Amino acid sequence: MAKRKSLIKIKPKKYKDGEVVKVSFMVMHPMDTGLSKDKKTKQIIPAKYINNVKFTYNGKLITTMNVWETLSVNPVFTTYMKINGAGNLVVTYTDNTGESHEKTMKIKPKG
Amino acid sequence: MQRREFFKTLGTAAAVVAVTTPTMSFASAPVSANKLSYEDALHAITGGKTPKESSVVKLKVPEIAENGAVVPVTVEVDSPMTDADYVKSIHIIAGKNGNARCIDVHLTPANGKAMFATRVKLGGTQKIAAVVALSNGEFFIASQSVKVTIGGCG
Repeated sequence: MAKRKSLIKIKPKKYKDGEVVKVSFMVMHPMDTGLSKDKKTKQIIPAKYINNVKFTYNGKLITTMNVWETLSVNPVFTTYMKINGAGNLVVTYTDNTGESHEKTMKIKPKG
Repeated sequence: MQRREFFKTLGTAAAVVAVTTPTMSFASAPVSANKLSYEDALHAITGGKTPKESSVVKLKVPEIAENGAVVPVTVEVDSPMTDADYVKSIHIIAGKNGNARCIDVHLTPANGKAMFATRVKLGGTQKIAAVVALSNGEFFIASQSVKVTIGGCG
């Protein structure tokens, strides 16, 4: 299983309790559609794409996404989130081959 | 006489080859595993209801996309996002892709603001639609056509 790089970004960087902030989750993933051919081996590359993405904040499910292969390579998912106390933001994804990945970010509101 | 018959058989053999080869090449073309048309995708989301065209949904897509492999899409909805009235889900549909359904985003009041942005692949010039489901069961739709110079599928 390949190890994937992922990143969670929050904008603005400094935020207060109760503020609504922009959260984006990026992951390095091939998102193969199963239609294209490898140029060297002339073989069809099998489909491999993210199925499901979940945003969990302090154990509470905020956002769930059902994804199909139509998204770009190395997809980005951007939504908003209301800061509600310190805790962990956990983003998990699974893909159609059963691969899953988890990324955690600590939420520390100031002021 | 023998020569004439020889040419006859040769002609029929060539005809058989000409007919069979194109059908064989069609069979080897790959087809998307979850193929879905625009109408079927819309029906699967709304369950037969016709969504209303509304200015509540703001869809931001470039009018001309040079590279079809990466097309940024932003959907924003005017909503208070309280427990009584919030946006349940945002769906993005690309009209002419093999699989028209791109993504379903299920939101909750904890999001604070109903907005979603991502990047999609587009196979060619087509219409992109954003379907929004509200918590009271209503559906809204906004759509825009995108001109794609180089397709990005496959």
